[in-house]
Amino acid sequence: MSVAEIDPVASSTRARIGLSASGWVGAAIILLYVFVAVTGPWWAPYGATKILTGSPFEGASLQHPFGTDNLGRDVFSRVVFGTRSVLTMTFAATILAVLAGGMIGVVLGYLRNWVDEIGMRIVDILISIPTLVLALLIISAVGNSLWLVVVTVAFLFTPRVARVARAATLNVVTNDYVAAALARGESTMSICLREILPNIMGVMLVEFAIRSAFAIIFIGSLGFLGFGAPPPTPEWGLMINEARANATNSLWPVLAPAAAMAVLVIAINLLADSLSRLIDQQGVSPAKGDK
Amino acid sequence: MSGPQPVAKLEGLCVDYRGADGWSRAVDGVSFEIAPGEALGLAGESGSGKTTVAYSLMGEQRGASRIGGGRVLFQGRDIFSLPEKDLLALRGRSIGFVPQNPMASLTPSMKVGRQIGEMLRFHAVPAPQGVPARVVELLESVGIPNPAAAARRYPHELSGGQQQRVAIAMALACKPDLVILDEPTTGLDVTTQKRILDLLAGLKRETGVSMLYVSHDLASLAQICERVAVMQKGRLVEAAPTRSLFERPRHAYTRSLIAALPRIDVPPEGRLEPLAAPAQDALLEVDDLRISYARGGFLGLGRPSSGSDTVKGVSFTVSRGKTFALIGESGSGKSSIARAVAGLTAPRDGTIRFNGQPLPALARQRPMHLRQKIQIIFQNPDSSLNPRKSVRSILARPLRMFGTLDAAGREKRVIELLESVRLPASYAGRRPHQLSGGERQRVAIARALAAEPELIVCDEILSALDVSVQASVLQLLETLQRERGLTYLFISHDLAVVRWFARHIGVLSDGAFCEIGDTETTLSAPTSPYTVQLLEAVPRIDASPQIVT
Repeated sequence: MSVAEIDPVASSTRARIGLSASGWVGAAIILLYVFVAVTGPWWAPYGATKILTGSPFEGASLQHPFGTDNLGRDVFSRVVFGTRSVLTMTFAATILAVLAGGMIGVVLGYLRNWVDEIGMRIVDILISIPTLVLALLIISAVGNSLWLVVVTVAFLFTPRVARVARAATLNVVTNDYVAAALARGESTMSICLREILPNIMGVMLVEFAIRSAFAIIFIGSLGFLGFGAPPPTPEWGLMINEARANATNSLWPVLAPAAAMAVLVIAINLLADSLSRLIDQQGVSPAKGDK
Repeated sequence: MSGPQPVAKLEGLCVDYRGADGWSRAVDGVSFEIAPGEALGLAGESGSGKTTVAYSLMGEQRGASRIGGGRVLFQGRDIFSLPEKDLLALRGRSIGFVPQNPMASLTPSMKVGRQIGEMLRFHAVPAPQGVPARVVELLESVGIPNPAAAARRYPHELSGGQQQRVAIAMALACKPDLVILDEPTTGLDVTTQKRILDLLAGLKRETGVSMLYVSHDLASLAQICERVAVMQKGRLVEAAPTRSLFERPRHAYTRSLIAALPRIDVPPEGRLEPLAAPAQDALLEVDDLRISYARGGFLGLGRPSSGSDTVKGVSFTVSRGKTFALIGESGSGKSSIARAVAGLTAPRDGTIRFNGQPLPALARQRPMHLRQKIQIIFQNPDSSLNPRKSVRSILARPLRMFGTLDAAGREKRVIELLESVRLPASYAGRRPHQLSGGERQRVAIARALAAEPELIVCDEILSALDVSVQASVLQLLETLQRERGLTYLFISHDLAVVRWFARHIGVLSDGAFCEIGDTETTLSAPTSPYTVQLLEAVPRIDASPQIVT
C-alpha cells in the first residue's frame, strides 16, 4: 500500500500498450513467415521438387538466390515451400499440446486431491523420458507420416504444458473469487472455464510461444534424423540432412534452411520474452500488487 | 521548535512519480523536523504519500520517481547530495528501518541470528562481548522468549509478531539515531499489536532513539508519538502534539479521520434499532461445530482425529435481522466457522441449521434456494473479485444463476445493485483494478445482495480498508440491514467496530467460545480474562505520551 497511487484507470491503459521493441520485431518476422507460407507457392521461382533447374551445386545468383542442391533443385524455392509445412506442423502440434496440457493442468490444479497427486506423478514420469528417444520409438513403432509427427510432438509437450498450467492455476485457485464461485454452487467445469482460465490466459500464451519455438527445432530434428517427412518433401530438417554430405563444396543448401529455422525460432523467442514481461507487469499492477 | 539540532528535517520536500501522462506530484512541499528522542507519527490514508516521505528520509528514491524540490537533512547533512557510499553507511547504521511486512524483509533462507549479526558486522559496530552474544542480547531486548534458541531459527519458524520483533531488533542493532517504522503493526492482530506498541514505547524510553512512525491507524500512532503529522494527497495538512491534535483538530481532514475512528471507550450512540423487533426467531443455529484441516492416512484419504481440531465444538444462534459478531485473534478459528456456514469447508462434526433445516456441508450439496439465502463477503476485495471480469459480469453471474431475469432485466438490476451500494452506474463497465479498495468491497457487497440473501457472512470485510472507508462501508451495511431485514454473521478482530455494529457477540479463543452474549453486557462487564485482554489491547487515543519538554 501507500506511495502515490497513480490513477488506476490511467495505469491500466498504460499496461495495455506494452510490447517492447524487440517483441514487435519478433512479431513482424513471424508475420513475414506466415505471409511466405500462405502465398509462397504462387510466387516461388521454381517447384519444390523440380530437379535440374540449374546445374547442381550452383552458388547464389539472381536465378537461384540461395544456389542449388545436389540435384540442381532451387534451394530458395524449397525453403519457401517448406515454410508452410513447418508452420502448420508446429502450430498444430503446439495448439494440441497447449489445449490438452492446459485442460489437464487446470483441472488437476483446481482439484488438488488424490487425482492431482496421481496425475502429476504420471506427468513426472512422462517428462523424465528423453523426448527424442520417445519420439523415435513411437514413430518407428507406428509408422511415418506428417500427422503422426504432429501428434507425437503434441503428446510429448502435453505433460510439460500441464505442469505450467497447474502451477499457474495454483496461484489463482487460492483467490476468494474461486471460493465465491464455490459458495454459489458453480460446477467444476464452470469454475475452471469462467474463473480460472481467464486469469491464466497470459501464462498460457507465453507457454504457447515458447513451446512453438521448441516444436520447430524438434520437428526439424526429427526430419534431420529421417523420421519426419519422406525425402522429396521440402522440409527444412530433411533438407539439411540431404545436403550435409556435400556441405564441404556447397554450403548454401545446408545454410539456407538452417538459417530460416534459426531466424523463426529467434523471432518467436523475442515475442515470447516480450509477452511474458508484459504479463508480469500486468500481474503487478492490479489486484495482488499492494497487499 | 528551538533547542537541540533536530535529528531529521524536511524542507519543502517534493517527490514526483511518472505516470501514464507525465510526472505527477506525490509529495508536495512537506516540511517537518524530528527532535532527538522524539517520536513523530505520520498519518494518512493509502496514497497520501506518507511512505514516500519515509523512504526519502533514508535517501531512497523509488523507481520512476524524482525529487521535485526541497531538501532532506539528516543531522544537518543534505541526504540527496550525499555520495552512495555515505548513504550506505548511514542506512542501518544511523537510520534504522522497520518495514511493514517482516516476512518479506527477512531473508527466508538465513537464520535470524545471522541476519542480525550481519548487520553488526557490515557496519563494523563494536560488540565487546562478541557478535553472537550481542545478537542474543538484542533479541532479548525486544522481548523474544528464549533468545538464544530463537537466533537459530529461520524467519518462517517465528510467528508474525516475533518476526516483527526481529525486524525491530535489526533496526536497533547499530544503535541508530532515528528509526523509521512503516506500518509496523498493520498485519498483526490486536493483542500482538498492543505488545509491539508497548515494546516500541519502552525501547524509546530506554534508548532515547528518535522515531518516525508511519501508519494509517491514528489510534496506534497515539500510543507512542508525541507529535502527529497528517498527510493528505501529498500535502502535510496538520502537525501538532498528539493530544491537542485529537482534542482540537484544526484541519477538516484530520477531524474526519478522527471522527471515523471507532471508539471502544465511548458507548455506541444513535444506532437505530428497528421498532417493534419481530419475534426473536433463530435464522442460523450452529450446534457443536467441529472443523479440522488435518488430513489422515495415505493421500489424505483417511479420517482426521479429534485432537487436531481447529474449531472445537462451537454452538451459537443468530436471530433473524440481527448481527452476530465472532471476535478473536488470527488462528482462533473464526474464519473457519464463516467458511463452514458458507459451505466452503466441510465440518468434521456438528450441525448447522438454517431456518430450522439442517444444511448439507458443502455449498454444492445444498439446494439452490439455500445457497441463494446464504452469501459470503470476503476479507480482501482484491482477491474476491475476478480481475478479468467487468463489474457488470461479476454482478450478473449470481443474477443469472439464482434469478429468472432476461438480459435486459439483469442489466437494469446491475445498475440498481450498484446504486444500492452507492456506486455510480457507469462503474458497470469497469474492471476491479480500476476501482479503489473501498469501491471493490462495495462491489463484493453488491454481488452478495444480487442473490437476495437472508444471511450474509462478513469475513473480516473491513480489515483491508482504510479507516474512513471502513466507516462508510459499515454505515452501508447498517442501512441495508434496516431496509432489507438482513442478518449478518460478522467476523472481526476489531472490538471497537463490533461494539458499534453487533447486537450479540461471541469471543473465540483457540477454537472455542470463552464468552458469548449480548454485546453491551459482554464488553462492559467481561467475565473471561481473554476478553479483558482483548479489550485492553484496543489502542486508545487518550493513552498518548506527553511531550518531553
